[in-house]
Amino acid sequence: MELAKHVLIVDDEDHIREIVQVSLDIVGKLRVSTACSGKEGLAKAEAEQPDAILLDVMMPDIGGLAIFQQLQDNPLTRHIPVLFLTAKVQLADRHAFLTLGVKGVIAKPFDPLQLANQVSAALGW
Amino acid sequence: MFHILATGLPDEVVFWLEQRLGNVSVQTTQHGKGALETLARQEWSLLVLGPNLDHSSALGVLNSISREVKFARLPVVCCLDKSQQRSLTEQLVRQFGATHALTLPFNQEELAQKIASILGFPAPVRETPGQQEHRATTTAVGEVWQRFKATIQNRIAILEQATVALLDGRLDENLRQNAEREAHKLAGSIGVFGFPEGSRLAREIERLFETGTPLDQARTLRLSELVMSLHEELEREPFPREFVSSSGQEAPFIVVIDNDRGLYEWLPLDAAARGFRAEVAPSAAAAKVIFSHQRPDVLFVSLTCLGNPEERLALLVELNSHSRPVPIVVLAEDDTLVARLEATKLGGQRFLLKPLSLAQLLETASLILRRLRVSEMKVLAVEDDPQTSAMLRATLEAQGFRLTILDNASAFWEVLEQVIPDFLILDIDMSSFSGVDLCKVVRSDARWAGLPVLFLATHVDTDSAHRIFAAGGDDFLKKPITTPDLIARIVDRIERVRVLLDTADTDSLTGGITRQKADQILNRLFPLAKRYQQPFSLALLALDHYQQQKDQYGSTVAKKVLRRLGELLLRTFRAEDVVIRWGENQFLIGAYGMAREDGVQRVAETLESLRQEKFIASHEIYFQATFSAGVAQYPGDGIDLLTLSQTAEEVLTQAQKAGCNRVLPAGWQQQPIQNADVVLVDDDESLAGLLLHALDTRGYHTQWLRDGQAAVEALAGNRPQLKARVVLLDVGLPSLDGLSVLRQLAQPGMPQQARVIVLTARSTEEEMLEALELGAVDYVTKPFSMPVLMRRIRRELRK
Repeated sequence: MELAKHVLIVDDEDHIREIVQVSLDIVGKLRVSTACSGKEGLAKAEAEQPDAILLDVMMPDIGGLAIFQQLQDNPLTRHIPVLFLTAKVQLADRHAFLTLGVKGVIAKPFDPLQLANQVSAALGW
Repeated sequence: MFHILATGLPDEVVFWLEQRLGNVSVQTTQHGKGALETLARQEWSLLVLGPNLDHSSALGVLNSISREVKFARLPVVCCLDKSQQRSLTEQLVRQFGATHALTLPFNQEELAQKIASILGFPAPVRETPGQQEHRATTTAVGEVWQRFKATIQNRIAILEQATVALLDGRLDENLRQNAEREAHKLAGSIGVFGFPEGSRLAREIERLFETGTPLDQARTLRLSELVMSLHEELEREPFPREFVSSSGQEAPFIVVIDNDRGLYEWLPLDAAARGFRAEVAPSAAAAKVIFSHQRPDVLFVSLTCLGNPEERLALLVELNSHSRPVPIVVLAEDDTLVARLEATKLGGQRFLLKPLSLAQLLETASLILRRLRVSEMKVLAVEDDPQTSAMLRATLEAQGFRLTILDNASAFWEVLEQVIPDFLILDIDMSSFSGVDLCKVVRSDARWAGLPVLFLATHVDTDSAHRIFAAGGDDFLKKPITTPDLIARIVDRIERVRVLLDTADTDSLTGGITRQKADQILNRLFPLAKRYQQPFSLALLALDHYQQQKDQYGSTVAKKVLRRLGELLLRTFRAEDVVIRWGENQFLIGAYGMAREDGVQRVAETLESLRQEKFIASHEIYFQATFSAGVAQYPGDGIDLLTLSQTAEEVLTQAQKAGCNRVLPAGWQQQPIQNADVVLVDDDESLAGLLLHALDTRGYHTQWLRDGQAAVEALAGNRPQLKARVVLLDVGLPSLDGLSVLRQLAQPGMPQQARVIVLTARSTEEEMLEALELGAVDYVTKPFSMPVLMRRIRRELRK
């Protein structure tokens, strides 16, 4: 039996982390771990080696973009696909994200009933 | 324990059935002799002829059974291929009254329900795994909401503080930025709890607090309204019904055939956000492969991608192999008649112009899928048996249909017009009135031509089946009726009807001919014209300044103009002519056996009628409308419908460029001012106004001379300033009378090109004779009728 895929959610808001967990678990049948800050996110990414990272763009300690950069710079984490979670979804921003190498952008607020589908669609799962 | 014999049913379905129903034991057998022997061996409760059985075998079994008296009451469930449904159903019904039919594609749940209902035990509708997951998720999210509700409400409190400060005039920069930040966070969070409207409100609040937005009185009030609405929103139940109703069922599958890679980069992701699944195919061939595995719920096709006709045909064949028609949206690079014709050939339900955004595409898909969703379907049922009514109510309302039940026919027509149902159910066995008669009445009105009618019957024999179809019924169901049966029949029918209709507007604007139907008719008539060497005219009309009218008076009013134009066209043209709405503000007319000139006349008459009309925009505001048109004819202006329509379109553009408000024939050319088709020599201003306007409307180049002297100077001599094909010459002219003018024009040695028609109020025989003697070709006395004069002028112009 195939092991469920593992997603790491990095977001400073408690309820967002909880709902992502609930949604990806029940609908997506995915294993979810959480990080509440950029620093914690980077550490967990390296340690746990998730199959994908869901990253909030606007966080207080380090911005999502900087975190993404650091993930890319680290040889242990650069292979992990990253999806941005953001309230800003202008086309221009999206293109910018894409050029950076982000695998997809999920708009906030997201529909918890569709989140798992969005993740699968973006990652080809 | 019920014993069921099944043939033509896959083993896994047999197994599944036993699990699903519980108290049945299903035995399978080979068809043919094997089935009959097994049948004879013991008592069976029911026989299933499954989807793997071909028709002749099925009929073979049924035939044999029908010969044995002991099988007369054996219920048989038979899976039918839709394409043969009607004839096969009739046949089955004729011979085997106890048969129940299920249509393909085979749905095992439907079969289970059918079996359960025939055998008389309940089989409750099961939730799909998808629905279960969604319910679990919303419950879990609900729990999270309970814990975070207070935090969120505190954030809103900050917004309130800021709003109050603003109203008091003491909002400082700090507070404003704070409020903006909180609103931003709320916008991103609230929707996640199942309050999408809340997020929208928060976003608007964020925008209002943005630095740089001047907060005047109006905006301040708006802010306080928004904050209040936000509070209210959070008091509601999370996950409003519209949120949930799309979930739990299988995700709608969208396919796009287009080779524009860049546009569709984000499609799968964006589609998933709306609960859709989407795939892009770069060519028709690639799409065909996709369709062979799964039927799309909506198909977008780019015209540039369907190069050759074979590809298109292959695609359409593949699409039509599915049991339910697929709504198609055509994506075109530009909006031309040619593109629209291509779109119609593809069976396109909608027409979208590129460039377009993914959001637009998905929104269109949503719109189409929404229309197909059950909760918007209205069903009207006429049923006087309380038990059946109760069943209908329980079944249909539980599924979300908007149901109206009538138990007698007296108010039928009023209710029909009021409800405007998508579907009509009639019971054939009603005591006080006949369902069949009601059906005939409904079908006699063109408005209800597309309304699907389903009959319910306890007992159906050949006669009643014939009566049902003869009266215009589409289908019938034998009681007892199962939920999936009924639902499937209804949804399917309504889908078919909706996919066939372009938009509701089109239908009502042109007396019921849909674009597809019109295209069919045109494609039939045109070859006839070729074969019998008849002319065929194609006219394309466009309302002038339609966009301005929409902007100024609103689209409802603008549509009234369209509607009226449609009516006038239908009146002016013959019953056999095709008149259809074409694009937003255009009409297309196809007339078999009509020459271009006649076409121009009729369209011009319509234009003149339209000009007379006054449209009311609102209280005491009136406006008038005009259109431009081009008329092309086969033979001469095109060798087939496509080139003919291209020509018509070109001429329409010419008419618009020449100043609108006119009808031009193909081949019309702007003439220099010295070349006139008709020159009017008359001092009567009102006559001139009328006549010249009528001529201009038809594209004739005209000139007006007011006295005899001017006429001689312009027209006479061997190098006249003005060349005319027809001259309308009034006898009673100032400075020089008409006959004198005529004498000058008739000088020997003068190139006599113009054909002169003499107009006069007096009518002495002498004058008449003299005019004719001088070379006038015709003589018309005033007052004359405009149509008569026009006809004479046209006759002369032809020569």
